Amino acid sequence: MNVAVISVSRRRGSWLQAEWVWLAGIVALECIVLASLEPNFLTEFNFYVMLRGVAVTMIVALAQLMVLAVGQLNLSVGAIGGVVAVCTGGMMEVWGLPTIVAIVLGLLLGTAAGLINGLLTTRTGINGFIITLATASAFTGITIGLNDAKPFYDLPSAYVRFGQGRAGPFPYIGIVTVVVVVALAVLLTKTVLGRQILAVGGNPRAATLSGIPVNRIVVIVHTLSGLLAAIAAILLMARLGSAQPSIGSDWLLPSFAIPIVGGVALTGGSASILNTVLATFLIALIDNGLVLVKADPYWIQFLLGTIILGAVGLNRLRLKANKEQAS
Amino acid sequence: MTEVTSAATTRQSSETTTSVTPALELRGISKAFPGVQALDHVDLVLRHGEIHALVGENGAGKSTLLKIITGVYQPDEGTIRVNGQEVRFGSPRDALRAGIGAVHQERNLIPKFSVAENITLEQPPVRGWQFLDQDKMVEEARRWLEAIQLPLDPLTPVERLSVAQMQLVEIAKALSLQSRILLLDEPTASITPHETEVLFSILRRLRDEGVAILFVSHKLEEIFALCDRVTVLRDGRLAAFDTDLATLDRDRLVTLMIGRAEQIRELSAKSVDRSRPLLEVRGLRASTGAQDISFTLYPGEIVGLYGLVGAGRSELAKALVGEGKILSGEIRLDGQPVHIRAPREALERYRIGYVSENRQLEGLILTHSVQSNVAVTVWRRLKNALGWISAQRERTTVSPFVERLQVKTPSLAQAVGNLSGGNQQKVSLAKWLAADTRLLIIDEPTVGIDVKTKHELHELIWDLASQGLGILLISSDMPEMIRLADRILVMKEHQIVGEVANSRRYDEVSEAIMRHIHADDASGATLPVAEDRQSSAAHHVPV
Repeated sequence: MNVAVISVSRRRGSWLQAEWVWLAGIVALECIVLASLEPNFLTEFNFYVMLRGVAVTMIVALAQLMVLAVGQLNLSVGAIGGVVAVCTGGMMEVWGLPTIVAIVLGLLLGTAAGLINGLLTTRTGINGFIITLATASAFTGITIGLNDAKPFYDLPSAYVRFGQGRAGPFPYIGIVTVVVVVALAVLLTKTVLGRQILAVGGNPRAATLSGIPVNRIVVIVHTLSGLLAAIAAILLMARLGSAQPSIGSDWLLPSFAIPIVGGVALTGGSASILNTVLATFLIALIDNGLVLVKADPYWIQFLLGTIILGAVGLNRLRLKANKEQAS
Repeated sequence: MTEVTSAATTRQSSETTTSVTPALELRGISKAFPGVQALDHVDLVLRHGEIHALVGENGAGKSTLLKIITGVYQPDEGTIRVNGQEVRFGSPRDALRAGIGAVHQERNLIPKFSVAENITLEQPPVRGWQFLDQDKMVEEARRWLEAIQLPLDPLTPVERLSVAQMQLVEIAKALSLQSRILLLDEPTASITPHETEVLFSILRRLRDEGVAILFVSHKLEEIFALCDRVTVLRDGRLAAFDTDLATLDRDRLVTLMIGRAEQIRELSAKSVDRSRPLLEVRGLRASTGAQDISFTLYPGEIVGLYGLVGAGRSELAKALVGEGKILSGEIRLDGQPVHIRAPREALERYRIGYVSENRQLEGLILTHSVQSNVAVTVWRRLKNALGWISAQRERTTVSPFVERLQVKTPSLAQAVGNLSGGNQQKVSLAKWLAADTRLLIIDEPTVGIDVKTKHELHELIWDLASQGLGILLISSDMPEMIRLADRILVMKEHQIVGEVANSRRYDEVSEAIMRHIHADDASGATLPVAEDRQSSAAHHVPV
């Protein structure tokens, strides 16, 4: 086949493939529409409200993205968030542990929960869907059982101040999110581990035969997912000022919706942090717009559903176009 | 272009062919994909009672043409006639209804279903109100199995069959749809010469019964042995149209396919220094099936591993690189006993690589770039103290190998899945060259790959061995084996049943090999039953 011919078609394809351009365009469009329709949109406080939501959801989405990258899924992100929140809250209020110690233990708990997911998946060879469905139920049981479904309210004041503080429109908790995003971006694009993660997702058989320890990578990714869920939970606790057992119960849908809107292949092998970041804003802006126009919150749920379907449909069309081009 | 006109004139002048309406006639077929003109005014004529070869290199447009005939793609231009009637296929179902049956390169059977269920899948016999008629299904399947003389229990699940048997079941399935036109895409790619002969005799009989057969293959020997006429595609255009194969010889056909005369480098026998073995395998038994395997491989030597599909060659290869448990026996590398527990150890500690027979499923990450597919074996070597890899460093490591293998790709960032089969195979080999292995197990390196690339790969493998690499070559392609191997081990039912020194005289060597394989085969005429599970399994299949 003619090399020149391919490169022409590839150039045309690469514009369609540069998904972040589309996502950024839609985000910009949303901002313009909201700014022109709703004067309250451009206020500092509105941005703060939006960003503090984004700061947590983005990490939740990344927790799912990492697992999707190896072609698996984690139905227990929210459940891990819940159990971490309640246990960390308990350690602060009941045991009176120093804030930092409680946070570190909380993060370790989430990490351990992820490790359990990973080990169960690789050791038993049972589909991650079933494993995390089961562990999700188990973790939720612990969350509710520990304190009879009652929240812990008495959290250290410095911790809550951090969770609710802001510099202009920028919430302090966003600092953590930025650090997490940068760290994961470096991990995925610059490190051996990142490449191995994507290789495992792209083709686990080929990865094994190419000398990649596939099971170890899957365990690492699940563990990382647990850690990220724990970070999200601890930030959300600080922001809410209480350790609610309901933390995480509404994470599942956005955790899939955001990476999907960001164009991740559910079969694994692709994961873009930039796309996920943009997709978080894309969805947060829709959410924010509906709140501003005082729409019924149930419509947000409905809209999220349609957006997922739309994004998946678009992705299929795109892949089909690429495939026809290639054959 | 001259070939086209001369061929066309021949056709006009021959009364026997023009007097009968062709079974299938394509005229002026064009199909473009964004940026690529896949087919440019292509004609094809297929008559009843004829086996017609469709040949061309990878990317010449054969697959696109087949997809148009089977209704997967719609042509941009041109007409299709079946028995003189112009047709338009909106979907593969339309093509099936028009009596066009196809056996594709990839298997299209449902493994858990029985032979009967698979054969009758498109039109299952029903009774009453849409209830499956089990008895009729078996009866119908038996009829079509008899038609191709395949002695199989219709209730055997397809997953228990050998590859060759599956191939024949697909043909039975195609015939059961009353297909008078049969398309076969690389039907012999994964079956042995013996099985190929059985297949060919069935195809010849179908031809004599008036079926029109279109046969796509890269194996020119087979085309000359089987086919009556040929159409050659090159870069999406006709290079030769409906030409009598008797008027062509192999060189002429290759010239038509590649557009110039073929130059084959002589890959002579090498002098191998047999003083210090590289790999010694003694009495190896593995969980993947290897039974008491012993052999020795010297540096700079190409040892061939020949056997029927299902003989356990790939399984042995995988056991050697640590995929699957070794139950007993010993592997020595440079005289030292080694225990390889995972491909990762094989690569990093012992520098042994396995080039999979299935580049798409096991060799490559199709959605990833050429660069990362080659670099996958060396990432850990490329990282700096922080565990980072610079894309620049990766690129400079990878490019020499991509260049050496002449991988045709617009850039290193191109997704491997977008490359042609031959180039994909080169990439899956390149990663092991990048890994600087000293022992390479290469499994079926040229399945479904065009003549030109095949020669390139052969030369490369030969050159690698000349540089001192030890190579274990698994191949079911007898000419390939005889061209490359220094010695040939014959494998059967997970055991090595013989060794043949390669004199490079085809008849002599192939006969010696086949004698080893059929040493205790009473009947040479029936298809070999690949799995021993089969006989026992057939009895307790749930109905």
